[in-house]
Amino acid sequence: MALSLTVNGQQYSLDVEPDTPLLWVLRDELGLKGTKFGCGAGLCGACTVHVDGQPARSCSTPVELVDGARITTIEGLSSEGELHPLQKAWIKEGVPQCGYCQSGQIMTAAHLLANTPKPSREEIIAAMTGNLCRCGTYSRIVAAVESVVDGVGHFEPAQGGA
Amino acid sequence: MAWAILNQRREVPEMTMNRRDFMKVSTGASGSLMLALSLPGCATIQTGYEPETGEWTPDVWLELTKKDEIFFTLARVEMGQGTYTGMTTLIAEELDVDPARIKVKFAPVAPEYRNPLFGLQLTGGSTSVASSWKPLRVAGASARQLLVMAAARVWDVSAEACVTQDGHVIHPNGIDSLRYGQLVELADREVIRGKVPLKSRSEWKYIGRQGGRLDAEAKATGKAVYGIDVELPGMVYAVMTRSPRYGGQATGFNRDEILALPGVLDAFVTDRGVAVAADSYWRARKAQNALNINWDFSSALNINNGQVFDGYRQAASEDPGEQERSDGDIDKAIENASRVVEADYEQPYLDHAAMEPMNATAWYHGNGMDVWAPTQAPDLGRIAAARHSDLSPEDVTVHTTFLGGGFGRRLTQDYIEEVAIVAYKLKVPVKLIWSREEDVRHGFWRPAMLHRMRASLNGSELTGWDHQIVGPQILDWYVRNAAPAQYPWAPKFLYSTLGKVGLMVEGIATPKDISAIEGAVGYPYQVANVSVRHTHTDPGVPITWWRSVGYSHNGFAVETFMDELAYEAGEDPLQFRRKLLVTEPRHKAVLDRAAELAGWGRPLAEGRARGIALFRSFGTYVAQVVEAGIENGEIQVYKVTCSVDCGQVVNPRIVEDQISGGILFGLSAALFGEITFKNGEVQQSNFHDYRLLRIHEVPEVVVDIVDSESEPTGVGEPGVPPVIPALGNALFALTGKRQRRLPLTA
Repeated sequence: MALSLTVNGQQYSLDVEPDTPLLWVLRDELGLKGTKFGCGAGLCGACTVHVDGQPARSCSTPVELVDGARITTIEGLSSEGELHPLQKAWIKEGVPQCGYCQSGQIMTAAHLLANTPKPSREEIIAAMTGNLCRCGTYSRIVAAVESVVDGVGHFEPAQGGA
Repeated sequence: MAWAILNQRREVPEMTMNRRDFMKVSTGASGSLMLALSLPGCATIQTGYEPETGEWTPDVWLELTKKDEIFFTLARVEMGQGTYTGMTTLIAEELDVDPARIKVKFAPVAPEYRNPLFGLQLTGGSTSVASSWKPLRVAGASARQLLVMAAARVWDVSAEACVTQDGHVIHPNGIDSLRYGQLVELADREVIRGKVPLKSRSEWKYIGRQGGRLDAEAKATGKAVYGIDVELPGMVYAVMTRSPRYGGQATGFNRDEILALPGVLDAFVTDRGVAVAADSYWRARKAQNALNINWDFSSALNINNGQVFDGYRQAASEDPGEQERSDGDIDKAIENASRVVEADYEQPYLDHAAMEPMNATAWYHGNGMDVWAPTQAPDLGRIAAARHSDLSPEDVTVHTTFLGGGFGRRLTQDYIEEVAIVAYKLKVPVKLIWSREEDVRHGFWRPAMLHRMRASLNGSELTGWDHQIVGPQILDWYVRNAAPAQYPWAPKFLYSTLGKVGLMVEGIATPKDISAIEGAVGYPYQVANVSVRHTHTDPGVPITWWRSVGYSHNGFAVETFMDELAYEAGEDPLQFRRKLLVTEPRHKAVLDRAAELAGWGRPLAEGRARGIALFRSFGTYVAQVVEAGIENGEIQVYKVTCSVDCGQVVNPRIVEDQISGGILFGLSAALFGEITFKNGEVQQSNFHDYRLLRIHEVPEVVVDIVDSESEPTGVGEPGVPPVIPALGNALFALTGKRQRRLPLTA
């Protein structure tokens, strides 16, 4: 089945089985490995991408459902070589440990800030609750998002997430 | 090369030591794979200057080029714990360059890259910085010294009068300078005589300073390459369907039907189950769903959860176990006691649940096999791959990637065995990926354990401590690949013999397995009569190391029972511990600090209570106070206050992150963690029924690091053990009901 996708601003025409999860199309057909496989069931958020501006779990999104959609992955979050403010904050705050879940974390946070530029801490936590991190980087995630919200980098050790 | 620093790496005493010495050494070396037999030190890494490329390799760690590039070979894998940053910082400090300038390469398998504490090239036991602390600084200092000597010769000045600054050697006149890149060819001709001095603490620019993580950018942009991201030309995808019950064997399946499915390239029975290979991952998965497999369960695991602990209780009663520590006379203490307190503690099997599911990629080609894997033990991975092909270990090249979490699971190489089986059959590059469900159900777990505790009190004085640990030992499950990895020249037909011999001579020629008893034999409290015993019994469930290993279950038993005894003695749990730590200043210091920071003894909001615990693991002292309550029938953890003494800190932010990450890891186990069996089948499958803490469930965590000039000790694991009993103790203070089984309930 021929499908068309716009991924990170680039158009693709694909011939894949329609029930293939978007995740594997992105990773193995388009070579965009930044989006990760964690659970295959929408439980961990490691595979989060934006579909027409909305966060989606690409591991459980059959590609036929997003035919014609505009998709953004972690690779497309930065524009013209400039990192997204969240990516800069993630680096300054030293958020990642193993790092495997972080693409999904950043994509979820990016959607939050796109729609709620000044979220409260409670709103940040509510938005991020679908994204698991086994290493336990949660307090640094909150601190990194807040540093973008504040428009300043604050590098004091974060004081807890909840 | 006229000089080599390699000899300095083997700082571990040889195995002529007696048992007591061994216990001392191995307290800091969890996993207990510390190697018995010294290995021939045949160097395989070429050092020297290469005129054609302009690359100078002063030692096995560093490579400096004429273009001023600096490469560092990282021999401890990066799985989140921060070796990529921490170890690079050590070598950068002495080389006198900004760590951010150094490009990190993951080490190939070579004897030079073995962990000297284990004699294997493995990353575990919270040993990376501790075991690299001196060798990497010496390597950096030696390379720097050679560069200075070369510059001094160029300028005809004294080397002692030259200084270095950020990759330059500075002339004594303070004006002229030479870049390291300009000096590499000349430096190779210099020879160091005598010892190279290391910087003093006051001269450090990077060690102990608040630095970022060198891998943060790659991980924030999706560019970091994990095992699952490896891509090869012509690569195919494989999935393995394993027996739902451990030890079952596939005897046949509907092969013709499977082969007819779209994209399927091959399907066949293996030792590990039924392999299906297809031209895409999704097609392999879909074909897997159509499998109809006949299983032979005659030697498969057939256990129900309750039977594990019934078996343990029976073993505890029938077999007093091997005496692992005996101070004074416990029997007399019990006999003379005014009161004897007894309690059993039960702890379940636990899954690692690393975010990156098990996976590996392999390519069997005319010249051998290449394996790409997120593995904590590439030399064992090499054995695992060789075992399933016609190759010798030296024909197998293992490429290590970033690891999406390890926590001990990736010390066991079953996923590499599987991909090697398929790659050997297909002779094309193969990537084999586990689903989350497979990852949860086919784990090697933290063993379930029973602890039978007994103590004697005379009034409020604790006079006797008797700790019986009941459960399996991890080495029994590990030695199969570990023993051949220690003898890579041994012919393959000897592998199983090596594994068996490794077990037979355990404690004699190979070290004793302390995985069950670590943290229990080191009971720190001053009690006149102490007995620690291990009753070795194994229900046949596969096990491996899990973040903090034996400390994880011994910590719960020891520190919960101490809490029980404090209440029995009518004393405050903090004061009860303090007075038994007179000769243990580092224990006492972190305990006091955590209590002070947490406001121990001060009033709390209604419905909240505090619990305290103290535990030393991997050489690091950790005390924690947990503030918890119960709301709407659920346990709420509000705050964890932690004091940690891990000696000299290399990167404060990473230490804090490792300790707080360990705390959350321990809380997930305390609140949710349990792998259970029904008729031999695992009952959990994914993150909905094997839960991990989510962001809204995370307490405030305060980590206080003791300023110390002692040798650095581990930080990846020591945050885990105390938080579990500290939470249980808080719940007891709240409810008056003692919980002796994990996970905890509201």
